[in-house]
Amino acid sequence: MTKGSEYAIEVDKLTKRYGDLVAVDGISFSVSKGEVFAFLGPNGAGKTTTVEVIETIRRPTSGKVTLLGMDVTKKKHDIVRRIGVLPQGFSSFDRITVRETIQYYSRLFSRRDLDIDALIDLVNLKEKAKEQYKNLSGGLRQRLGIAIALVNDPEVVFLDEPSTGLDPRARREVWEVMQGLKQQGKTVFLTTHYMEEAELLADTVAIISKGKIIAMGSPGELIEKNAPCPLLTLQSVDEKVLGIVRQMGFEPALDSRKDIKIRVEHTDDVRVILNALKDAGALYSALDLRKPNLEEVFLKLTGEALRDGPAGGRGAP
Amino acid sequence: MKLRVVGANLFVKLISVYREKTTMFFTLAFPIILILVFGTIFMSEDNVSFHLCVQDLDRTKSSAKSIKTLEESGKFKITRVDPALNAARYVRDNKVNLVLVIPKGLERSLMRRMVFNNFSANVTLTYVYDPSSSSVLTKMEILNRVLAGINQEISRTPPFLRSVEKSVLTRKYRFIDFFIPGIIAMAVMTLSLFGTVDLNTELRQKGIIRKLSTTPITRTDWILSNMLYQFIIAVVSTIAMLLVSYAVFKVSLHINAWLPAFILLDVFAFVGIGMILTRFVKEAQSAAAAANAISFPMMFLSGSFFPIELMPGFLQTFARMLPLYYVNEGLRASMVFEDNLAALRDCAVIGCFAAVVFILGILATKWEEGR
Repeated sequence: MTKGSEYAIEVDKLTKRYGDLVAVDGISFSVSKGEVFAFLGPNGAGKTTTVEVIETIRRPTSGKVTLLGMDVTKKKHDIVRRIGVLPQGFSSFDRITVRETIQYYSRLFSRRDLDIDALIDLVNLKEKAKEQYKNLSGGLRQRLGIAIALVNDPEVVFLDEPSTGLDPRARREVWEVMQGLKQQGKTVFLTTHYMEEAELLADTVAIISKGKIIAMGSPGELIEKNAPCPLLTLQSVDEKVLGIVRQMGFEPALDSRKDIKIRVEHTDDVRVILNALKDAGALYSALDLRKPNLEEVFLKLTGEALRDGPAGGRGAP
Repeated sequence: MKLRVVGANLFVKLISVYREKTTMFFTLAFPIILILVFGTIFMSEDNVSFHLCVQDLDRTKSSAKSIKTLEESGKFKITRVDPALNAARYVRDNKVNLVLVIPKGLERSLMRRMVFNNFSANVTLTYVYDPSSSSVLTKMEILNRVLAGINQEISRTPPFLRSVEKSVLTRKYRFIDFFIPGIIAMAVMTLSLFGTVDLNTELRQKGIIRKLSTTPITRTDWILSNMLYQFIIAVVSTIAMLLVSYAVFKVSLHINAWLPAFILLDVFAFVGIGMILTRFVKEAQSAAAAANAISFPMMFLSGSFFPIELMPGFLQTFARMLPLYYVNEGLRASMVFEDNLAALRDCAVIGCFAAVVFILGILATKWEEGR
């Protein structure tokens, strides 16, 4: 590990146990200042436990965690002033309006100079500023949560499952806000089980499974290293197609809907396959060529698919 | 401790309860309803009037006069039962609990005693009653007292033993005056205990406590603001109870510095217990059940509703171990008897208890979620 000052977060052999359950198993990683770091993994993988240790909410069983050069077990008081946290399943006081909620948290941080209206604008909640929390939709609540995480102008922002349980539109709106943070140069620690989210926003992705980090790098590096081949899908094929593709030396997989998936090394292979099928008069209803993504990386590394768990489900007990 | 942080917390709690109008209404209304119900019952106790069925088998001027005397006593509203009916059947069929039967021959026996000085002449009145009725014994006891008075009048001999009531208090107090301090103590207890348990478990379940633990707010700021909030609610509730008591029942109570002191200690004690409960009982429903398990015995055994002297000896001993007993006694000592020494003694006891449980409550309240 290089000099501490280069990193916002340094985690060294972190282990967290709950009785016999090992939630986090000796993981090490570091997060550079100004980068968006995503912790990607399914529910129960140890993401939230790890992030809560870094946030000073939980204490590690063993290992060392340093945040902005401070030991998280010893400098809680100093650390909380310099970080912003959107906890998993964020919630707030039902009867308090958006503006009052931001005002409340700004008082906790003694931020008398905070421009509350600017913060409300930043998360696109201007029209809902006088709405009570209980009347906000899931997406609006998460945006309020992000605004609260920013009241103290933090150096490091933790966003724990910020888009879990949101509909696609609300999710996109939350992503827009997060992209704004990235543009501001904030260090962002994101935990998610949505690979699109990690791929879209993160500079570095760490894939965690069963308490261990199994791969880490930029989304491009991870894909290049672990799932470099594009995937060609031919839908509703007739019986000839499978044989023709096999004869060409590819390994097609047929599913129950009579779609076949063919892993190709180069885009030229696609042209070769399609020409061969045309010459043989083989029929298919549609085709889809998809570049590999983190979902496939995760599938390859763990043998399991990343799926949505219950909204707000917590990894830690 | 930062006053700005405490103020911000207090504002959020007060504005929340202000906007939750239904909750606020029932919070304030519950003890007032108790005061109105029990106050009405106890206020009319001195002028209690029972419904009494009388069957006059004699049907003479003397028997009619006896019935009139019963009516004029002010204790009974008389309903006449047809002499042709069976009294026992009348009790069963009409769901009344007592029929007084005046036998035939009352006037004749009365004449023999009054005119002929035949002191062996007498008449036996029959009480036909339903023993399953809870109030019938009281009714018969009052009837006996009224009949004893009538006997006294008929015999025309002045009583040898007389009695006179002399209160230890300089003013005449009614039961309602003793009742109100007990209800204030009980209401402040339930507000503080349930308020703390409900608030803490709700905020923990919603993850707000976890969020707050990543801000500079300290445990002391949080607890102090909760304490102040509960104290303000308790004061508002007490003022409402006193206003209703003065307006409806015209109570005679002394409002002095002991009242806020006892309210504060009541709040400290039960906020402390609430904090300890929420440390060990995680779910909101379980916490409410645990709070009920504490508040109900306290409510009924500590003398809030009725004097502990009515209870068996071992329960009286138990009652003296309950913190609410000392709040009840202290408030009555200061508000009714103006006994500062007794109030000081009770204040010292509840003060020590409040200090211990409040410190334990502070220790039990955790921001971090464990090692």
